[in-house]
Amino acid sequence: MPSLATRPERQTDYRRFSPAIPIIIDNGGFNFRIGWAGESDPRITFRNLVYRPRHKATGETVTIVGDHDPVLLKYFDCTRSSYRSAFDSNVVYQFEIMEYVLDYGFDRLGVEDSPVDHPILMTECICNPISSRSKMAELLFETYGVPSLAFGVDAAFAYKFNQQHGICSEDGLAICSGFATSHVIPFVEGEPVLEACCRTNVGGYHVTDYLKQLLSLNYPYHISSITWEKAEELKLEHCYVAYDYAAELQLFQKGTKEAEEKTRCWQLPWIPPSQEDAPSEEELARKAALKEKQGQRLRDIAAAKKFTRISELEHKLHGLEDLVQQLDEVEDEEMYSILSVTDYNSKQEIESAVHRVTQSLRKARGEPCESEEKVDASLSEKYPLISIPDDMLTPEQLKEKKKQIFLKTTSEGRLRAKQKKFKEELLREKQNQEDEEKRLENPELYLEQTRVKYRELCERVDQRKRLKTNGNGNSSGGVGRGERLNSVQKERMRLLTTAAFDRGKGEDTFGARDEDWQLYKLMSRDNDDDDDSLDEDETELSRVTTRLQEIDPEFVAKSDLAALQGTLEFTRLRPLTAEDFKINLGIERFRCPEILFQPSMVGVDQAGLDEMTGVSLRRLSSKDDAVKNRMCNSIVVLGGSSLFPGLDSRLEAGIRQIRPYLSPLKVVRSLNPVLDAWRGAAAYATSMQFSTQTFSIQDYYEKGESGLKQYQIKYSL
Amino acid sequence: MEPEVVNSEMLLPQNFSFKKVQMGDKYPKGHARGRHWKHLKQILQAENFQSYPTDEPNYLNIETPPSMYPSKKFCDITGFEAPYMDPRTNLRYANPEVFKRVRMLPNEHIQRYLSLRNAAVILR
Repeated sequence: MPSLATRPERQTDYRRFSPAIPIIIDNGGFNFRIGWAGESDPRITFRNLVYRPRHKATGETVTIVGDHDPVLLKYFDCTRSSYRSAFDSNVVYQFEIMEYVLDYGFDRLGVEDSPVDHPILMTECICNPISSRSKMAELLFETYGVPSLAFGVDAAFAYKFNQQHGICSEDGLAICSGFATSHVIPFVEGEPVLEACCRTNVGGYHVTDYLKQLLSLNYPYHISSITWEKAEELKLEHCYVAYDYAAELQLFQKGTKEAEEKTRCWQLPWIPPSQEDAPSEEELARKAALKEKQGQRLRDIAAAKKFTRISELEHKLHGLEDLVQQLDEVEDEEMYSILSVTDYNSKQEIESAVHRVTQSLRKARGEPCESEEKVDASLSEKYPLISIPDDMLTPEQLKEKKKQIFLKTTSEGRLRAKQKKFKEELLREKQNQEDEEKRLENPELYLEQTRVKYRELCERVDQRKRLKTNGNGNSSGGVGRGERLNSVQKERMRLLTTAAFDRGKGEDTFGARDEDWQLYKLMSRDNDDDDDSLDEDETELSRVTTRLQEIDPEFVAKSDLAALQGTLEFTRLRPLTAEDFKINLGIERFRCPEILFQPSMVGVDQAGLDEMTGVSLRRLSSKDDAVKNRMCNSIVVLGGSSLFPGLDSRLEAGIRQIRPYLSPLKVVRSLNPVLDAWRGAAAYATSMQFSTQTFSIQDYYEKGESGLKQYQIKYSL
Repeated sequence: MEPEVVNSEMLLPQNFSFKKVQMGDKYPKGHARGRHWKHLKQILQAENFQSYPTDEPNYLNIETPPSMYPSKKFCDITGFEAPYMDPRTNLRYANPEVFKRVRMLPNEHIQRYLSLRNAAVILR
């Protein structure tokens, strides 16, 4: 998560500070700040995150706290580890990580040999659960040896700081929007009224996350460029709070000029495919020569192969012919002995082998083979038994005859299929020629006709598809509520229900007759009669599409059009342009911070910032209107997530709706919403009475957790 | 360790002079590093806030209640006002063009849009 910020330097002046001077820690969900009391700025600030990757070379697990240079991460295996924060919402729960963070913080502050011998003032969330507070105390007391501790709410410190500087008065409201949560805290007579404060679990983190998700969903192609850090950057730079959300939406919905101006465009890096200049003459000539050479080489290889094959076959043929001759010359008895030496069982086999070899030889030589008559002759040869009627044959011969009939029919079928294909080819050729002629004589008319044909076919195919699925495109295929069945589906349903119907005790005779099983054929979904005609239409459609793509310059296939108009998924049909790499931030600019005011947009069922003030005021026990008026006259906006432009005017408008008509209302930003908490705490720690507010290590050993439970600091010193 | 890594002082040292107990001893290597720290939900359950007096503020007390106003419905895809909802996917949409896009979304995107609003159905 961290960005390329520089890492803080180790401070060297630790010795200058006497043990009475407290160390101030602002333990925020986003940034961890640590420094000395009495100074105006925290010495060290870093992201409150820990990363524990494994070093690739040594395999040991190392710890990295805060921001770091992403380039150096290449030495580490980053796949198994992720950034971890000690916080869950705004409460610290992972104290191992907290310890790493504190280690780093103290180390950077320059703490040296002695145990940390300064009182520590640390910020925590409002109404921190006791277990978290006590574990933190345990960590600080027992591991770091801190002499005394103080816990305080960061928003309260910030408010007091602003009060001292005159921004707000003693009675007021602090609206603090943090990283994971947002609070509204009323102050009466300088002290926060904790019973009346309220907290919504929406903060800067949620705004960034929302922005990231929205951009990733709208631009799925660029999902890897839209990281959390990038979204954070975009949020800081471009997001603002709309004064009137509905009106802004209208602006963008209508697409007015103002909306155009407000839309920011983020151009992602993109390199256009380099245009290849027409290669020069030389290049062309060289390439042609190369190709020629390669072609020549291939041809040589082919010729050599052919030659070897021919010689092989000739050799074989010679051998077989010799064998035949031998057998002719010799008597019958010797025939068997000769035959047993070779692989062949009878003279006929040898002769058929000879025939085969001569055939392949002829083919290899490229001469046309006279296969037709031979085939016929062999056919009648192979199936001698067919012509003999049944009653004259023995049972084995009958079996033979059946086999031969089967073989004959299959080979005849194959022949027929070949002839049919040949005829179809001829037909298609003729059609193509006719088409060409038509096109040549009247191109315009032809184009029109093909276009019309295309449209018709498209419609028919679409319609049939729609009927088939019955609008069931996205769903799992079951018929949902309210969807009508067509007649085919109805019939199928009827069959299914009747077949499944349990006829009770009566005997179930399904399956006794052969015709029963035909039921399954009828039920089967695959057995659609429409299939054939649909296929025809589809093939016709694809043919026409290709034809149109060839001849019509403006033709865009319908399916491609639909895909282009839909989400930005790119079909590879058109080249990517610079346009596709632009991410537009239009309404996202003010839609994301809006979740602070309408948490229901992200599903958090709580009130937004402006309503929270009303809730908080209502929770105040005093019914005195004067107090409430005074409070509304000094509302301070704090917290890192309140830096959105337009937030305070929107807040003011929102709160004005809740308050009585014309009651005083003033909303101001704090001096520095991010640093004020630390500064307030630092200023608080310098006062004389600070030591009375701390919780010392002796108290810890004596009272332990219950002492912490009662611990509550007074903010006005 | 590569020199530039050492120079950048990026890594946290194992031992510190100001600590009484070092990390290595506190969390010995063999044990599951997950440490099973209690998450916030468990912490809050363990705190048992019902036993405390109700007028004292505690972590749960101060949560904001749901909003008084009915939530405005916005289109999940474009962000405009959305008076309509697709019954099949439960996504809200603003006008017919957006509806076309809704119907053409792959299932994964539908779930992600819904989870933005915390409305996705989680199957366990």
